[in-house]
Amino acid sequence: MAEPTVRMPGIVLASLMFQHVNSDSDVEGLILGESKLEEQITISDSQADHIQIEEIYNIQKHITCHKLNNFCNGMGEVNLDKLKKILADSKQSVIGWYRQRRNTDQQMTFREKVIHENLKKALSNPHMIFLLLTPSKLTPPGSTHRTEYAAFISHGRQFINVPVLVNNLGLLEQLAYWKVSAACSAAGYSRTMKKHGSVFFNSTGSLKEVNEVSKMYDSLQFELRKACRDVEESERRVETLLADVAALRKRVNEKRGHRMEKDTDAFPPEPKKNMLLHEALEALLSCSPLFQTQTLTLQAFPVPELCCSADSGTDVTTTLLGPEEVSNNDSSRAISRKRLKKVPVRENKKSRKSESQCATLTLGVSVSASQEDTATAVDDD
Amino acid sequence: ILYCGFYLWKMNNMSPEVALHRISPELRPLLCSVVRNGRVGLDSTNCLRVTDLKTGCTSLTPGPCCDRFKLHIPYAGETLKWDIIFNARYPELPPDFIFGEDAEFLPEPSELPHLVQWDAGDPECLLQLVKELIQQYHQYQCQRLRESSRLLFEYDSLLEDPNYGRNMEIYAGRKNSWVGDRIVLVCPSFISIMSSLSQDTALDPGEDVALLSVSFEDAEATQVFPKLYLSPSIEHALGGSSALHIPAFPSGGCLIDYVPQVCQLLTNKVQYVIQGYHKRREYIAAFLSHFGMGVVEYDAEGFTKLTLLLMWKDFCFLVHVDLPLYFPRDQPTLTFQSVYHFTNSGQLYSQVQKSYPYSPRWDGNEMAKRAKAYFKSFIPQFQEGAFANGKL
Repeated sequence: MAEPTVRMPGIVLASLMFQHVNSDSDVEGLILGESKLEEQITISDSQADHIQIEEIYNIQKHITCHKLNNFCNGMGEVNLDKLKKILADSKQSVIGWYRQRRNTDQQMTFREKVIHENLKKALSNPHMIFLLLTPSKLTPPGSTHRTEYAAFISHGRQFINVPVLVNNLGLLEQLAYWKVSAACSAAGYSRTMKKHGSVFFNSTGSLKEVNEVSKMYDSLQFELRKACRDVEESERRVETLLADVAALRKRVNEKRGHRMEKDTDAFPPEPKKNMLLHEALEALLSCSPLFQTQTLTLQAFPVPELCCSADSGTDVTTTLLGPEEVSNNDSSRAISRKRLKKVPVRENKKSRKSESQCATLTLGVSVSASQEDTATAVDDD
Repeated sequence: ILYCGFYLWKMNNMSPEVALHRISPELRPLLCSVVRNGRVGLDSTNCLRVTDLKTGCTSLTPGPCCDRFKLHIPYAGETLKWDIIFNARYPELPPDFIFGEDAEFLPEPSELPHLVQWDAGDPECLLQLVKELIQQYHQYQCQRLRESSRLLFEYDSLLEDPNYGRNMEIYAGRKNSWVGDRIVLVCPSFISIMSSLSQDTALDPGEDVALLSVSFEDAEATQVFPKLYLSPSIEHALGGSSALHIPAFPSGGCLIDYVPQVCQLLTNKVQYVIQGYHKRREYIAAFLSHFGMGVVEYDAEGFTKLTLLLMWKDFCFLVHVDLPLYFPRDQPTLTFQSVYHFTNSGQLYSQVQKSYPYSPRWDGNEMAKRAKAYFKSFIPQFQEGAFANGKL
């Protein structure tokens, strides 16, 4: 019985992987190439001749379908017209089809089996292969991905997994990697390289793309280094500033501490005045002799001692006249008040100085209270 | 292996909400009906379960974009693990399937109506397609039974009986490995029995199921192991897991003889429980009639409990009557309780009486009369005990 093998060039495999990496869904397409039977006869002196028949599928090219179910429907039925349209420009023969699906098992699905059988019937080719590639994430962060690939052929209702050999890797021994490409003296090869080589290679013989990638890498490294330097400088400045701020805080705290000690020693805290208490006392005890000064008004009433500040709102007229005179002179005072502007009470410092002027003030006010026209005239002036 | 399937299901269950949150929005309605309403096969207590949600998009695609997952399907005591593959970029396309280790299972697409007429806009389409695939899978397993003439005979004989033929699930093991492997025939759910039980009792008929699973360890049926699986409510109604023991499979016997035997045993048990229910109801009704206003409360659903407040010579006491599941075969328990006296632990002083004049052949009326007479005879003794051993 023939042992099937699938051989695929590395470039085709890379091209398939590249196609799927750039696609956001599963992809499928057709495989072109040739299939042949090789008979290997092993001649040995020790045993009888051994004949081994190998069925080889050589994959040479693939045709991508731009969308899924391009040549078949949801039930796996093949549309021959669409298939022919896809194969219109192709000179090689179809030897199979492929599908790439992420994050699934390396097994043919239900519909893939149905499509495969229908494709065999549609193309009248009982020897067709199905190539399956299944990329998946190898590490949770997605830093490493893996692509598994396998080929299947069908015998009746059974689908057999067939080994896939990648030509440029599969035929070399592990220790025999080539460091330099072997020289090729074929004229056809030279003509091809001459015609197309400048597109891919520099004058030095290295791949252009590789040089461009290296340049981009160098630029990226430069930018990264620059960014690192900037960050480092910024961090050092921040460090210096933080140290300065800490030193300044320390000095401020020290100074504050010294000042508080001095203030408590030199200046006793200024006593606060209880204005409400003062008003209450004044209301109750304004006629008490303790609150009277030695100064007398023209009516021979003692002048109460003023000890309130300018902002107490105390009516000087009422205070100086005394309560009896206030009640007697209500009407005249009312008129005079209307005419007179309210004299603001002076501040403590000024009031101390002006204590001696109380008599003078008293006289002035009393005169104006009894002689309302005069007061009015004075005020008007 | 049957028990392991149940335990694994309980341990690895992905919440339906998690699955629905991660699936691509266009596919969500389809998956919603599977995870919320997905009960297939004979075992309706086990739902379809979804695990291993993955995407066919690149890792740069922002989620949610999962479009492929594993579906766990309970079948014949096993759990089938099928991969269902959609494409988030082509949500209108029907899904594809990988049937786990059953690589040879290949249904005919034309026999799957919901695949032929796939409608991505119908939320039930995927669930219906899965049910059709399970039917096809069942036929595939039946085909595999043909590899053993003895097992095929067992199956065909049951299939001819309309009582069982429509409610069987066959699992013939894996290809080329069933020699020495188990073969399970899950026999029918006792639907008619369950419905009569639920009508006469207060049981919820929703998820009750009784499955008989018969495992053939070899193709010659020399080692046969039957097991009966009951849903928790049925098991409770019948008196717990130890209340029902099915007979062993007779050596050289056939399923067509054995299954009816088990059915009859279960039917008898259920009938007994139903009769017990009626008898309890009759008993309670008789006590209500005899003791009238003395009834404090009683179980109006299962008729398993009754409490009386009685007085004898100015001494008030409570009597709690507990009726067992297998009444009238088993005698009710009487608990006398003083309303005045406490024990050292702070509970009301009480005495339990399990043996008193009783006969299961009496009707409810007679039982009430005899109980009344017994109360009269026992109360003086109870009162003395309460005063002596209890504290006010």
